[in-house]
Amino acid sequence: MEVAGLRLVLDHIAASRPSWSLAADGVFAPGIHLVSGDVGSGKSTLALMMAGLHTPGSGTVIREEIRSAMLSFQFPEFHVTGLSVAEECASWGLEPAIAIREAGIDVLPEAPALSLSRGELKRLHLACVFSREYDLLLLDEPFSSLDCPGKEQVSRQISGRSHGIIVIFTHEQSIFPAIDHIWEIAGGSLVDCGGMPEALVRWQYAPPLVRWLVAAGRIPESITPEGLREAACRIRG
Amino acid sequence: MITIDALRYRQLAIDTLTIPPGITSVIGPNGSGKSTFLKLCAGIAEPESGKVLVDGASPRQTGIGYVNEFPDRNILFSTVKDELASPLRFRFTPCKETDRAVRACAETLGVGHLLGRQMQDLSGGEKVLVAFAAAIIGRPRVLVLDECDSHLDAGRCEWLEEALRASGAVYVIRCTQQMETAATSDQLLYLEKGRVLHAGTPAEVFSTLSDTSFYPLSWRWPA
Repeated sequence: MEVAGLRLVLDHIAASRPSWSLAADGVFAPGIHLVSGDVGSGKSTLALMMAGLHTPGSGTVIREEIRSAMLSFQFPEFHVTGLSVAEECASWGLEPAIAIREAGIDVLPEAPALSLSRGELKRLHLACVFSREYDLLLLDEPFSSLDCPGKEQVSRQISGRSHGIIVIFTHEQSIFPAIDHIWEIAGGSLVDCGGMPEALVRWQYAPPLVRWLVAAGRIPESITPEGLREAACRIRG
Repeated sequence: MITIDALRYRQLAIDTLTIPPGITSVIGPNGSGKSTFLKLCAGIAEPESGKVLVDGASPRQTGIGYVNEFPDRNILFSTVKDELASPLRFRFTPCKETDRAVRACAETLGVGHLLGRQMQDLSGGEKVLVAFAAAIIGRPRVLVLDECDSHLDAGRCEWLEEALRASGAVYVIRCTQQMETAATSDQLLYLEKGRVLHAGTPAEVFSTLSDTSFYPLSWRWPA
């Protein structure tokens, strides 16, 4: 059930270091948000500030009615606390067999957690993350290292979450969940491209597939694989 | 040619495979053995039995550039400058020549502004770019890249393609989970459960994967 008044407010926050700066101002309401940006533009720093793990140089991050939050780091190895897969699952309060099945991987519970391939580790980590509900879920590069079926599965799982604010920071090019709102970091500032599908025409550094569709006047209702395919196959006029 | 004969290593079993010069992409499900395959091609791991030969020589007797799928596992030194210089220093290149090469490589690859930074302070994508620069600064004959593109934006991925072609490497072998990128390769290998199920041009390999999510999305679209 959605909590009334659930919002994450970035009130003129800023972070900087020599030759780099980031300014962000905006309101994140319940739904699925996508934040894109160039390498080194500050996506992970923004995620850390939203999670309360990094203090902005100025401005305030205001969490209205947010009582539970989770930040999934882009590097799944940063989350590992158990020596084995079983210990790692147990650290999340999960039965290893259930977590392994949810992750869709073929590994033994007694296998060392860091002996998994990066994609397997990412899938296991995300299965653990998705086992719980959060008012604020921040996913930093959730699709990196995942194979195509894995990206589709994770996209379906994200699209299927009915509660809270979900913010995805990603470079993914073609497989997305049902995004509600798009933001991008450009020129050192967080730019609010708006809600779907209007956001697509304002998304300056959209993936090539999306750019091609927009340029062709076939603006998709959604950037899920199904939405992109529908737009590509649409007969104009 | 890179030739693989009767290879056995952990889950990998490849009876015979030939990789011609050019860019070869390796695709397949998570856990299918792609990274293990790349480590064998790079000489980081040696076969339990069988052979991997690069133009008749062991990978360990060949100039290799390698980027690990875990960005932090590429890092040997604390600063970007030292990291980038390390392949040249390890081969006793004179200091002045190393400094010149580091600056030239960094500028060419668009990481010149990172030279004064600490490796641990870089973003994931920046770490990958520096690791890529360190992999090619010694102008290796074989370039092995394990999901180098998984932390890069669209623009950087396009830039990486150009940098690969300009690197001078005779063989580029890379894993990618971006099928649109894989589709631009000269050769494609599809691995599953430690076996090479399909090898050939992207058109040949993807034609066998048309009912899977590995098939490039744009290929499903009408022209």
